[in-house]
Amino acid sequence: MTILQRTIFAAVALALLHTGALAQSGKIYRVGLVSIGAPGVLILGSGVARDFAQRGYVEGQNVVFEHRAAQGKVSSLPGLIDELVASHVDVIITSSYPAALAAKEHAGNTPIVVTFSGDPVATGLVSSLAHPGGNITGVSEIAAELSAKRLAVLKEAVPSVRNVAVLWNADDLGMSLRYQAAEAEAKRSGMLIMPLGVRAPDDFDTAFSEMTKTPPDAILMVTDILTNLNRKRVMEFASEHHLPAIYEYAYLVHDGGLISYGPDVDAIFDRAVGLADRILKGAKPADLPLELPARFELAINLKTAKARGLAIPESILVRADDVIE
Amino acid sequence: MSTLDVRSTARPRRPLFQKYFAALFVAVVVPLAANGASEGWFGYRDQRAFLTQRLHAEARSAAGKIEGFLGDITDQLMWTVQLPWREGMDERHRFDVLRLMRQVPAVLEIILVDGAGSERLHVSRVDPDIVNSEIDHSQDPALIGARSDRTWYGAVTLYESSEPHMTVAVAGAREINGVTIAVINLKLIWDVISAIHVGQSGDAFVLDRSGRLVAHPDISLVLRGDDDPAAARLTQLRQAAIAGGGETGEGSNADNRPVIAAMAPIRGPEWTAFVEEPASEAFTPLRAALWRTGLLLLAGAVFAAALAYLLARRMTGPIALLEKGAEAIGAGRFDHKIKISTGDELEGLASRFNEMAVELAVSQERSERIGRLKRFLSPQVAELVEGSDQEALLDSHRAEVVVIFCDLRGFTSFSGVAAPEEVMGLLQEYYEALGAIITRYEATLTCFMGDGLMLLLNAPVPCPEPALRGVQMAAEMQSSIQSLITGWRGRGHTVGFGVGLAKGPATVGRIGYEGRQDYTAIGNVVNLASRICAAAADGQILIDAAAAAEVGDAFALAPLGTRPLRGFAEAVPVFAVELHDRDVVALPAAG
Repeated sequence: MTILQRTIFAAVALALLHTGALAQSGKIYRVGLVSIGAPGVLILGSGVARDFAQRGYVEGQNVVFEHRAAQGKVSSLPGLIDELVASHVDVIITSSYPAALAAKEHAGNTPIVVTFSGDPVATGLVSSLAHPGGNITGVSEIAAELSAKRLAVLKEAVPSVRNVAVLWNADDLGMSLRYQAAEAEAKRSGMLIMPLGVRAPDDFDTAFSEMTKTPPDAILMVTDILTNLNRKRVMEFASEHHLPAIYEYAYLVHDGGLISYGPDVDAIFDRAVGLADRILKGAKPADLPLELPARFELAINLKTAKARGLAIPESILVRADDVIE
Repeated sequence: MSTLDVRSTARPRRPLFQKYFAALFVAVVVPLAANGASEGWFGYRDQRAFLTQRLHAEARSAAGKIEGFLGDITDQLMWTVQLPWREGMDERHRFDVLRLMRQVPAVLEIILVDGAGSERLHVSRVDPDIVNSEIDHSQDPALIGARSDRTWYGAVTLYESSEPHMTVAVAGAREINGVTIAVINLKLIWDVISAIHVGQSGDAFVLDRSGRLVAHPDISLVLRGDDDPAAARLTQLRQAAIAGGGETGEGSNADNRPVIAAMAPIRGPEWTAFVEEPASEAFTPLRAALWRTGLLLLAGAVFAAALAYLLARRMTGPIALLEKGAEAIGAGRFDHKIKISTGDELEGLASRFNEMAVELAVSQERSERIGRLKRFLSPQVAELVEGSDQEALLDSHRAEVVVIFCDLRGFTSFSGVAAPEEVMGLLQEYYEALGAIITRYEATLTCFMGDGLMLLLNAPVPCPEPALRGVQMAAEMQSSIQSLITGWRGRGHTVGFGVGLAKGPATVGRIGYEGRQDYTAIGNVVNLASRICAAAADGQILIDAAAAAEVGDAFALAPLGTRPLRGFAEAVPVFAVELHDRDVVALPAAG
């Protein structure tokens, strides 16, 4: 080949490559993200974008995220889902059971990937984990049983605890199941439960006054959007009254909570995005089994413990995945 | 005539060019094809063997990785059976378990059983710990298995019909150390299995003893549990791999794409690791090799065809030239030259053809000349004159010759009344009889007119005693014709035959013009002979004195005295040859 021929060949090859790249980037996927809280709080924030990026999606180039946040108002969810369907999203990722339920009822045939919606089989979102059947897949939770485990962890961290106040959103079926599991464990292990079901932000004042009236030994906060939005108040109350408290997710311990035990949140989102990726590449949600969280983490904030004057036993420290000192 | 006939009757069905072309082409292509085919076949075998070897190595490597994954877990579990179950040791055992679970995320729960088979501790990631439940595990197959083999692997079970779990048990060196029974979340093998890549797009998967899918890069396939069509295809692929023996198996993978698979056993849980590679990809080098061979064969065939064409052309071109030349020469164009300069036998053959043409030309010219000579010489003399290259004999010169004239008597009146056929038929018999004798005596025929003819002896070829020879010949002629005349008379034709002979000097040579030449003698003797002949009666042979002197006693001669002859001033002595009965057919009595 002469130099001229080589140059022409290279130019043609480059042109072809360029055309190919453009053709590849032709499709821009639209991903709807629905959370019940404020955008970026818990869930569905930068973590999801990062997980997508790891799979080759670049925001603005071949993927567009449509964030919809209910700001705590369950009643606004159906409208948000309708908006996403109207903007022709390819997949909807939901966080929380109410968001999942609203998506199931309003998203039509749009594929849905659910997260943090409790046990989707128990709540009837899907018929089974292995064969979800409809247009829903996602990551399930072993949420209810974990409440009992949390109570046991709390008891081990602070052996003197006997009377535990449980804060949960009494309007949320999934959260109520978690409360019931804690109650059963308390009965088994000879502890007492102070049930503090809340339904609205105002209910927290009632709960706090009740705890002031009859002080518990510790608090177990069942995490949903309602309790999550009011977490600062709960932590402040616990701090004020020197109460040890256990939460569900590590990020709450980073926010000042004493201890948490629950599934690895990052891992859950990673799996959810993995499923969304499969759907964008053509898989049907009905063929994608729901996954159970495989990794659990125990987080403990020793600063908080020190402030409460608590000596955390070695048996807790030895298994802590996340220790804040 | 001959060449054309031969060509048309024995026309070859396949021209020489085609035969040469086919033979040369086959001579090149057959070894080439045989070589290509064998190379292709052995190449295929080598590539196939290499593929099998490579996939087996990959399968063993995958099995090794799974064994490593399980081995790490059982090694860690061994830490929990190093201490004996004695008073006050419970807390240490519990710490071992907690630390282990911190370290090994795949372990979902652990049950510690003491030396007596009683459950001492149950730690789960999901449920609260249970201490000293004292459940009896002594009949638990996990405990029995671990006691006998140190490590025991249970069957794979599906949690919530989806997530694959497996129970593993390890026993301490001493019975008092107890047994640890652990539930493993096999979903975490995904990290291992998804990191295995075979070739470009091949992967690995694991089936347990019963054929249930334990690990696959597509975790959804594993989680779909039993009775999944994709998993069923993998079970079929296992059957194919088993049927293939030590070789590879061919079938469909979970995505229903054709694949080549190899398997290797995973020791411990008795699982099987499989590696699969898309058939299209696995056979790419094979196909490439076959294509290469095919293209080489094609190129070889084209080359062979070109070579065969050129060689066949080289062979048949000169042959066609030769054929054309032979045709031209056959048609009498002896000046045709065949031009072949191949420097081989064909060129030699062409020059032979050319030489032959020249020789033919010479030969034809000679035969034409002989033909001409034969008009007046007897064939023998003609050959002699031509063959001995003594054509100078024909040149004009003076010679002592014997001239003989003869003619039929009464022929003119006969020819006036007889039918033309009869005239010609008679002449035919007459000349046939004379011609045979003339030829025998090698006399030179100078001319004939109607029934008369003139003969020469001793010219152009000299002969001994020409007069005697002439008389002998005349006697034979007379005898022969007289017997014919007897026949003719029977048919009512009255003709006779007379001969005159004279000897003397004359000028002999060729006269005439190009293409029409005769040999003749000119001189007094010719006139004399002619006159004597005219004087001869039927059945008579008259000769002059010179001839009579030469004949002498050989024949009885009757001197007839002198005769006045026309054109001669003086009367000329004439002799008649007395014909004896032995020499001549008896003359008819009528005379």
